[in-house]
This record gives sequence, structure tokens and C-alpha cells, in this order.
Amino acid sequence: MPAVQDTIDRVRKIDVDQYKYGFQTEIAVDKAPKGLSEDIIRFISAKKDEPSWMLEWRLEAYRRWLTLEEPTWARVNYPKIDFQDIYYYAAPKSTPGPSSLSDVDPELLKVYEKLGIPLKEQEILAGVQKTDASELEEASDNVYKSGRVAVDAVFDSVSVVTTFKKELAQAGVIFCSISEAIREHPELVKKYLGSVVPTSDNFYATLNSAVFTDGSFVFVPKGVRCPMELSTYFRMNEKNTGQFERTLIIAEEGAYVSYLEGCTAPQRDENQLHAAVVELVALDDAEIKYSTVQNWYPGDAEGKGGIYNFVTKRGDCRGHRSKISWTQVETGSAITWKYPSCILRGDDSSGEFYSIAVSNGYQQVDSGTKMIHLGKNTSSRIISKGIAAGFSQNTYRGQVSAHRKATNARNFTNCDSLLIGDQCGAHTVPYMEAKNSTAQFEHEATTSKISEDQKFYVMQRGIPEEEAIALIVNGFVKDVIQQLPMEFAVEAQKLIGISLEGSVG
Amino acid sequence: MNMHTQPQRTPAETALIDAFGDRLSLLPGDGAVMLKRDDAIESIKHGLPTRRIESWHYTDLRRLLNAVPDFDPAAMAKALAPIVEGSTVLPILNGKSDAKVLSVEGITVQRLSEMLVDGSIAPGLDRYGSDDAIGALNTAFVADGYFVDIADGTELEKPIELQNLQAGGQTHVRLPVRVGANAKAVIVERQAGDGVALVSSVSQLVLGEGAEVTWLIVQEQPETATHLAQFKAHIGKNAKLTLFVMNAGGKLVRQEIVVKTTGEGADFKLRGINLLAGDTHTDVTMVLDHTVSHTTSTEIVRNVVTGKARGVFQGRINVHQYAQKTNAKMACNTLLLSDDGEFSTKPELEIFADDVVCGHGATVTEIDHDHLFYLMARGVDEKSARGLLVKAFVAEVIEELDDEAIVDALEARLDGWFLTHG
Repeated sequence: MPAVQDTIDRVRKIDVDQYKYGFQTEIAVDKAPKGLSEDIIRFISAKKDEPSWMLEWRLEAYRRWLTLEEPTWARVNYPKIDFQDIYYYAAPKSTPGPSSLSDVDPELLKVYEKLGIPLKEQEILAGVQKTDASELEEASDNVYKSGRVAVDAVFDSVSVVTTFKKELAQAGVIFCSISEAIREHPELVKKYLGSVVPTSDNFYATLNSAVFTDGSFVFVPKGVRCPMELSTYFRMNEKNTGQFERTLIIAEEGAYVSYLEGCTAPQRDENQLHAAVVELVALDDAEIKYSTVQNWYPGDAEGKGGIYNFVTKRGDCRGHRSKISWTQVETGSAITWKYPSCILRGDDSSGEFYSIAVSNGYQQVDSGTKMIHLGKNTSSRIISKGIAAGFSQNTYRGQVSAHRKATNARNFTNCDSLLIGDQCGAHTVPYMEAKNSTAQFEHEATTSKISEDQKFYVMQRGIPEEEAIALIVNGFVKDVIQQLPMEFAVEAQKLIGISLEGSVG
Repeated sequence: MNMHTQPQRTPAETALIDAFGDRLSLLPGDGAVMLKRDDAIESIKHGLPTRRIESWHYTDLRRLLNAVPDFDPAAMAKALAPIVEGSTVLPILNGKSDAKVLSVEGITVQRLSEMLVDGSIAPGLDRYGSDDAIGALNTAFVADGYFVDIADGTELEKPIELQNLQAGGQTHVRLPVRVGANAKAVIVERQAGDGVALVSSVSQLVLGEGAEVTWLIVQEQPETATHLAQFKAHIGKNAKLTLFVMNAGGKLVRQEIVVKTTGEGADFKLRGINLLAGDTHTDVTMVLDHTVSHTTSTEIVRNVVTGKARGVFQGRINVHQYAQKTNAKMACNTLLLSDDGEFSTKPELEIFADDVVCGHGATVTEIDHDHLFYLMARGVDEKSARGLLVKAFVAEVIEELDDEAIVDALEARLDGWFLTHG
């Protein structure tokens, strides 16, 4: 293929500066000593002012972790991580839980401004600019319909600020950092924390249970439709620091919540570890929509640096007719190891997974989902689109299983891969397990390159080659993009454009 | 931080290791062969594969193989009539080659025991990966089999039927076959027997340029036998291989298919039928490597699960970096007919070349109610209607074979199975 060398050169050219969020901020920090031990866990727990049961929970997880082995089954290669060479706690010094935005270090606010994350509530008018005056009036008239987004900003190990807390509280929604939830709502945390991803779940989840520092907590009470989009923005800044966040979202009977997650990190030569756990609980008739745009630093053109993103995300459709939907756009991280899953426990519950994973440079992605059908008449749908360019490896790994009692379980899986260039790889590893004769599973997967005919058709209409490819790729991922909330869809589309720019294959 | 503890040996592992010590003096082979045997038994000493080994994820051999029968020198198996009349039959009875005629025009047959003794087969005894437990077991114990060589340009009119028959105990055989350039042949590999048995069987096929082979594996072991088999093939330039696998028996069955396209224009077709009944476990695992450009493959596997049977299909297609213009398609369809049965499937694609068309599809479902209704509305009773639909589901794959004598022979096997299990 004559275009290949050209492609590689161009990918290389844009790879280094394509990452816009690679800046670093000088900020005074409070750090725990390097390494991991029971003392460090005590230190973290004390810093967070946690009750003793929480400390015990962490220590138990830590002891468990010592007995576990690092998993090696994923299709990713990386040098062994020295878990004693990481700082497990780093917090901006000036923020011992700021009570209002004015207490927050202005340097920090600048960071978020630079990232385009509005933390000042009056400035938040995300989404499409409404031109119709009456519509605008109506929007500002009713706080719950304005389409504003409440943000919980997590900087290294701590949550620096959560916006719109008051408005949310009026609706009965609790949205705060998990540390705050442990202090203010221990009964809820005790009841749900670890109930979806137990402390013994897997190597990284167990590590997270021992050392998690912050994350978001959402509780939507019975019958409440959360009045605005909730969002958490994770930023890693400090050198040699691992970020271990924990997110817990609970939707009670009939509740609805849509939650967005975004993340970035500075550009550095060494790898940084990010091991998060996200737990979702949906009770009867509840619905949780969880969207992620993952844009951690992916490393440079030679594959140096970047974030190791080892994440456990799981939703439990505990109630009847509950629904959990995961949407992810993965463009960042040197290594991604992530399988947002749904346990379909309640009868008639449903799970969805929509994913776009774009890998470029030397990125390695091993991502997919698990749909575990336990209840009757449960259904799940998986749409996964993988795009590999440069020297990257992009793997879809998914499991669909129907247990003995899961009568009429229904699954549809579609995973497509697109390869750009001949130095990258695309892999599909689906596991299908049926133990019930009424289960109905369908799986289809295809791999192809952009067809010359499609490209010709578009270019013939006067569109340059790169734009033509972006157009075709966007068409290819449309099914997934449609599932994203409006604010994210725009960003995601842009991201895909960036990652594929110059990758003419 | 983490401790690796060597788990206790299972009774089956101990039995195998002990049996190797006992039989060492009886096993044929020169120095090179014996070195391979030692190496193979060493890997068994490290333990049989568990579900933690990815390629054995659904067949935890360590747990499932709970007993190993002794070698039974008194066992007497009898050669069977071939499934296609007029075939050249090469029987192996209780692990020993027993052919009267060793040459037909264009075919040269040699007993494997002789090739073990003179060491000429030694290079073929290598395992293909660290997880190749069947290869290891076979290499350690293999005592006989046939080497069949079909000369260049030979076009066989009648099939060759390799019969591996046992009447209890252990048998370990190997069947290397070379098909010369532009030769055409139909080869039947018949695996059957009676009694409590452990069978390992490794077939190795090399197809020369432009050769065309249809290879049928008909596995009808009793529900008391453990059947661990491997089929390995290299398909040369412009050569065509159609592999048909029918599993209709056995208590614990693992049929591995390891195929490589080594020349441009090579074509591979796999058609499989797994008829699962009783309290059995059947695993068909395929690894297909497209290593050069312009090669094609299609795989269709149909499974019928009844009783408490557990079925597995794992299919991995590797498209190497230089294998541009590969066209590979795989489908695995399962009818799950009982509530106690289960089926797991893992169709994998590993792709390193960008100008390829690859796809796979997998379905698991019960009988379509509309189809059932259609037949019953025409006065067919439910049982017969179900029977018709299930049979049609698998027979479709057989009918594709395009050779009347073979299609008839296989349909007769199919009818036989439905008669006892319908």
C-alpha cells in the first residue's frame, strides 16, 4: 500500500501535539509518602476524616489484594508496575474541602477553565446555544429544564468542588464527592459500596478498594428524575501519582439519572496508573445512563508515557424493569483495560453498551462489556466500534451469558473494527454462554478497511481525502454517537476527527 | 508478593505419569523420538490445563478428566464396514495398525510404529504451543498409526477410510497424511469404539500445490470414552481443503483443528455438526492462521444440544500482517433444546492486516416458534415437526458437500443418531 509510509509520517507528526490537555500545573500539594502499606491506607483514611468502619473496609481489601495476582489475560503488554513506586495520595494544599467556590485555589480554577470545564455556576450554559428568545427565557425560568450540567471536579486525589449542589438537593438528589458521602450519608454508602464490585472482585478493583481517594456519589431518590446532567471531571496532575477514584450511583425506584465522565492528564514521559471503580445500582423501574469520554494522555509518537487505565465499571440492574446504559468514547490512555458491565438481575431489566474505541500511535485498548443475564425476560444490546491506526492494538472483549433461570434472555451484539494502515491490529474476542434454552443470542462482527468505492463516492463530490475519511468514519460510529448526550456528542465527534487526522490508509 | 503453589496432582495426572513410567520400555522410538516423549511427559507433570489457560477456558481438562483407564492389552476391536462402499480401509485396532494391503496405485502407506523406530517421524512430534496438552499426551504415548502419501497428480476415485477403533483402555495414534501437488482425494477419519477408554488421536495433513482434499471426521465414541483429538493442516498454494467434522458421541470430547494457509490462493472450508446428548462435554476448538495474502476461508458449525450436554465452540482466525486480501467468514449456530444443556462459544478474530474482509456470527436459540407453527398447521404433530426442523438445521451443512455418496453416508449417520436420541 503506497499510502502507508506517508500515513505513518503524518500520524507521527500530529501525534505529539494532538493532545491539547497535556499541560501541567504548578500547584502546592499535600502528598502521602511513596509506596503502599497499611500505614498509607491509615494515612489516607485519616486525611479523609473517615469513620473506623471505612478504614477496616479498606484494610480488609488491602490484605486481600496482597494475595492476588495481576491479571495477564488481556491483550496488552506493559512493563511490570512497581506498586511501591507510586504516590497513593496527592491533594492540592489549599483545599481541605472548600465550602464554596471562592475558597478554591484560583490556579485550580484556571486549570478547569483551560480544559473548558465551567465550574462557576452562572457560566454554565452548556449544550447548544438556544437562539429562540422564548426558549431561552423558559430555560432560565426553570432551573430543572435549563440543560445545565452539575460538575464534580476531581483533581488528583480529591474532589475540589461540586457545582449545583443546592439545586439538586431541592429535588432530593444527593451529588457530592464520595469522601463527603462517607461522612454525611454513611448509611447509604455502607449499604451500597462494594455491593456491585465487591472488594475481592479483581486485582485492580481490590487495590482501588484499599486506596481510593475520591470520586463522585450520586443518589437519586424514589420517583425523581434528576433535573440536570451530572458530570465528573477527572484531572491527574501530580507526577508519579496514581489516581484511584470510586464512583457510586444509586437510582431508587423509578428514578432517572444521566451521568457524564470526562478525564485528562498532563503529558509526561513516565506512565501513570489510573485504577477506578464505578458502581451503579438501579432499583425497580430506575434508569441510569452513564457516558464517558476518556481522553487520558495517550503517550507520545514513540509510545513513551501515557496513562494505564485499568478500570472496573459495573452496573447492577437490581430491580425489575430497570435499565442501565453505558456509552463510552475511548480515545486516550496508553493502555485501556475496561469492561463496563451490566448484571441483569431484575426481571425485564435491560442493559446497553455503546462504545467507540479509537487507538493511534502505540496505544493498546482491550475493552468491551459483560452482560450477565440472571432475571427473566432480560435483554441486552452491545454496539462496539473499534478503530485502529498507527501501531496500535484494539481489542473488543465481551461476554454475554444467560444463567439457568434467565428465561427469554435476549442479546444482540454487533462489533465492527476498522483498520487504518497495516501496522495496527484489531481483535474481537466475544464469549457467549447460554445455559437456558429460551435464550436468544446473536453476535456479529466484521473487520474491514474503508472501501475505495465509498471514498471515491465522497471525494468525487469535491471533498478532500482526509475529510472524506472522517466523514465515513463518523458515519461508521454514528450508532454510538447518537447515544451520547448532546454536549458530549459534539466533543466526541471532534475527538474522532483529531485521532484520525492524517491517517489516510 | 504472590505465591505460586504447585497444586496436588489429580488421580488422572498421577495415572498418566505412572503409565508413562510403566510403558516406557514398550514405546517404540529412536533417541530423537524418546527425547520428544520425555519433553512431552514433563509438560504433563506441570499439570493438565485448567480454565485459567485461555484456550481451555470452557474445558477444564484437569477437573473434567477425573479418571484414566489402564492400557488393556486384551481389548479386541474389530474393523468396521466403511461408510462409503468401496473405500480403501486402513484400520487401527486398539492402537495398532492392522492393514492387510499397504499400497494402492498412487498411495504409499507406512506403519507409524516403523517411523517411530527409525525416528523419521520425530520432527512431526513437536507441540504447537505451550497449551497443546493433546499434542503432549499423544507425543508421550503414541505407538502406532499410518503415514499415508498420495503421489502428485493422483486422483482417487474412492475414499480412503482411516479407522481408529478401540474396545476400552488407552489408545494413542497419529495419522500423518501428505497429498501431493494437484492430487485429489477424499479421506474419512473414523473414530469409534466401545468401553471405558482414553483416546488421543493426532492427524497431520499437508496439501501440496493445487491439491484438493475433502477430509471427514466421523466421531461416534461411546458415552464412556474420553476422546482428545487434533487435526492439523497446512494448505499450500491454490490448494483446497474441505474439512467436515461430525461429533456424535463421547463422554468428554475435545476436537482441535489447527489450520494454516501457507500458499497464495489456498482455500479452507470447515463444516461441523455437533450432536450432543446425555451428560457429556464436547469442545471443538479451531485456530486458523492466514499467513499469506489472497487466501480464503469459511467455517460453518451447527450444534444441537439435548439432555445435560455441554457444548463448546472456540474459533480463532488470525490474519497475519502480510495476509492482505484475506477473506474469512465464520458462523456458529446452536439449537439449545433442553433446559439442562448449555453451550458456550467464543468466535475470535485477530487481525493485523488492513485490507481484509473478515466477519463472524454466532447465534444461540431454541427452535423458531413460527417454523414449528407452520409445520403443525399442516397437520404434522409437534414431535415430528421438531425432529424435522432439527434435522434440517444440521443436514443443511451436509448437503453442501456436493458428493452424493458422501452426503448419503453422512445422512445415514445422522439418521442413526436421531433414531437413538430423537
